[in-house]
This record gives sequence, C-alpha cells and structure tokens, in this order.
Amino acid sequence: MKMTAVKENTAIKSRPEKTGEIVIHIKGLKKSFGEKHVLKNINLDVKKGENVVILGRSGTGKSVTIQCIVGLLRQDEGEVEVFGEEVSQMNEKELKALRIKIGFLFQSGALYDSMTVRENMEFPLTRILKLDDQQEIDRRVEEALDSVGLLDAIDKLPSDLSGGMRKRAGLARTIIVNPEIILYDEPTTGLDPITSREISDLILSIQKKYKTTSLIITHDMECARIASDRVLVMSDGEYIAEGSFADLRKSNNKIVEAYFKDIS
Amino acid sequence: MAEEAVIPGWKRWFENIGDQVAFFSKFVRNIFTGGFEWSEFVRQCYEIGYRSMMLVGITSFIMGVVLILQLRPTLIAFGAASMLPKTLAVSFVREIGPVIIAIICAGKIASSIGAELGSMKVTEQLDAMEVSGANPHQYLVVTRILATTFMVPLLSVIGDAIGLFGGFLALNMRDSMSFRLYFTKVIGSIDFSDFIPSLVKTIFFGFAIGFVGCYKGFNSNKGTESVGIAANSAVVTASLWIFVIDAIAVQITSLLFYN
Repeated sequence: MKMTAVKENTAIKSRPEKTGEIVIHIKGLKKSFGEKHVLKNINLDVKKGENVVILGRSGTGKSVTIQCIVGLLRQDEGEVEVFGEEVSQMNEKELKALRIKIGFLFQSGALYDSMTVRENMEFPLTRILKLDDQQEIDRRVEEALDSVGLLDAIDKLPSDLSGGMRKRAGLARTIIVNPEIILYDEPTTGLDPITSREISDLILSIQKKYKTTSLIITHDMECARIASDRVLVMSDGEYIAEGSFADLRKSNNKIVEAYFKDIS
Repeated sequence: MAEEAVIPGWKRWFENIGDQVAFFSKFVRNIFTGGFEWSEFVRQCYEIGYRSMMLVGITSFIMGVVLILQLRPTLIAFGAASMLPKTLAVSFVREIGPVIIAIICAGKIASSIGAELGSMKVTEQLDAMEVSGANPHQYLVVTRILATTFMVPLLSVIGDAIGLFGGFLALNMRDSMSFRLYFTKVIGSIDFSDFIPSLVKTIFFGFAIGFVGCYKGFNSNKGTESVGIAANSAVVTASLWIFVIDAIAVQITSLLFYN
C-alpha cells in the first residue's frame, strides 16, 4: 500500500509552528549497566516542532537515551528535563501526566497481540483519555487509522499484519492521543527499502501536519535524510557530531564518513 | 555501578523477596485505585475458569475412580467396605481434590500467565502500556490474580463433585450401590469443618497461582529464551507454594477443628 502523506485528521489538533522553546533538555547524562558504561556524557536540547535524528550503531545507547526521557530508565547522573520538569524527580502521577504528552513508537510497533487493531486504538482513548462516548471513540480510531492508510485492517489481529503495517498501526496508536512529542525507536528497522521510505515519509508528514516534536533513533540513513531537521551521531555513549544531514555529509570525522560512505 | 556486577546469592534472594513484596503492595494498591477493569476480569475468568474445566473434570474423575479402586481391597481386608464412600469423600474434599486441582491449575494457568506476560515484555508491549500512561498492573496483574483467586476454588468444588461421581462409578464396577445411598453416605460424612477450610485454602492456592504467574512474567528478561524460563519457573514456584500453603492450612485446621 503506497502512502506518502498524512490525510486530514480532525481529531488531532494542529499546533503552532516552531517557537524555539526547548521541550527536551539533557545535560551530562550518564547511564551504566553493571560494568558497561552505556551513556558517558550526553547533552541534547530539542526545540518544539523540531525533528531530531540520533544516528548510531547498535548498542551505542540510543534507545537508552529515549528510555530515560520517558522515565522507563533512570539515569545515574545528569539532567533529563521534559517541558522544563526533571523526569527522574517525578512521582508516579506526574510521570503518568508527562507520558500522555509523549508518544513512543517502539521498534516492533508493540501492538497488544491479544487485541484487534481497533481495540489497540481504543485502549489509550478509554484508559488514558477516559473517553466513554463510543461514537467519538469510533471516529477518532477511524481517523487515526485513515491517517496511516490502515483503515482496511481495523478488525485484524496484529499477527495478521506485516511488519510495515504493524509499525503504521503502532504509529496510529501513538498519534491518536495527540502527543506533543513523539519518540521513534528505530522505526524502519527490519523493513524493506520501499516500506522504510513510506514510514520515513509518514514520520515527516505527521510532524509537518500536527507540529509534533520528534526524536528519531535510527541507523537508517534514508530515514535520517528524509525525516531530519538535525542529526546527531552517537558513538560509544557520546555524541561525536551534530548538524543537518547535508552538513554531516561533508564531515571529515572517520565515524561520520562511514555512515555516509554508501549514500549517493 | 561497578559493584553491581557480582551480587552474592543471599543478597539476590533478599532483593527478590523485596521485589515480591513491592509487587504485592502494587497489586493491592491497584485493586482500589483508578477503576477496575471489569471486562478484562470477566475475560480472564472465562480463560482461566471455563477453559480449564475439561482438564480439571477429567483429572478429578480419574482420581475418584483410582482412589476407590486402590482403597477397596484394603478396606475389604479390614471388613470396612461400607466405609468406602466416606473415606473417599473425606480424603477427596479435605486434601486430594484441592491439592491435585491446584497443581493442575499451576501447570496450566501459572505457565500460561507467565508465558503471556513474559512474551509481552519481550515484545515491548508492557513498556508500551507503561509509556502510554496506562497502568499495566491494573489491566494485566490485578485482573489475572483476582480471576485465579475466584476461579480455582470454583474449579476445586466442581472437581470434587466430579471426583466423587467417578468414585460412585468405580464402586459400581465391582459392587453394587445405589446412587442415592452413595451420595447420602458421602454428604453425611462431610461437614463444614471439612468443606470450609478446604475451600479457604483453594482461595490461597488460586492467589498463589495468579501472583506467581504474573510476577514471573512481569520480571522476565528481555529475550525469547526468558519466556520459557518465566513459564517454567512460574509452574515450579506456584507448585511449591501450593504445598507450603497446604502444610500451613493443615496445621491451622488441625488446631481449630480437630484438636
């Protein structure tokens, strides 16, 4: 199924253009697992409405960074502030309120496999937004699925969907609650080049349409090229380069060069 | 962080106990806060209760038949063949029925809960639920533990009835006894001090099965192998807990009713 643009979704409100306000602020972030120092010193500011891509090889700590942002992991040292609030200092209630504003697209889509696609979409609406008007729920579910071109699969189980469809369904479930920030954990991993490109286009379309702030973890250069305003290159728990995709292409850094080697 | 690399066994054991206490307190807190997931609870009661009924029924029936066939020669040797219904009823209702049914439920239900939640962890569904702002404990843990706590006693009562019926058929394979006489003897030999403690301990068995299944699944590692480990560990631990609870229940029952 070809899909390059997001259709109008009236349930998801549009936001003002970029304001320059910093929504994610990370300073001196360090995280270790046993002897392994995964994050050594991460500093990052993400502005409202920006699409930031973090490039890096597997195991360099990209996913750990976004898990700290959403409070799934706690840092050993450093600051992680989202909307000006330190995540590690939040109690359960504050964390829940923050998480409603942050969408998270997992590598696998993480659809609840005992539920149909429709039930997956309804879950955040009834449990998080506490909607009880079934007509309103149906409308939002259909609009979100239509946005990602998956309306035909509404009554299917996740096991009946392809990898790309699962990611699109996961993305629909993420945007259905109208988050201000979306964190993408390797959104194109495991997909064929055509589907990868469709997902990358979709990320960009969603950001443009709904003015969400996006932080995308990937090692897919095509995804970085399509979806990024700014790219950070991560190696061994630290950022080694930062700039636009075009700027980094001209970099002399050996590690950065290796990423761009096969890009025509 | 470096000192975390080698944790002594005793420290890990205490950490594990602490984790279980925290898990239990989270379970209790989530029963009363944030709304109860009725539809998921009913679905779990169906999955756990109704879908286990056939297995429990067949096993109980066979146990009833086997017990009569085993008891018969001994009681005949002592000239107490007429005591067969009473012996079967008391042993089945007090001990054999609840424990065997709980062990079967541990094998079927605890493993299935452990594997289900373990695979949800591996495929990041638990994380997805948590980061979306929903409460996975409320939706997954509370409903499953309460469903096992309600359903295992119910299965045990049904299993007892089927087992006693199996005993009646076995008795009539060798001797002849009317259905009415058999059940008059069975009912006459069981009083509340047999039935109530037995029912109460199955509530604890059910709780242990649900709790262990959920705890093992929720705390499995992130790898496909860990799903199998969670399921296996849930069965072993739940079975062990059933015997521990049974031993404690027997002591308490003896003190309260038979001394």
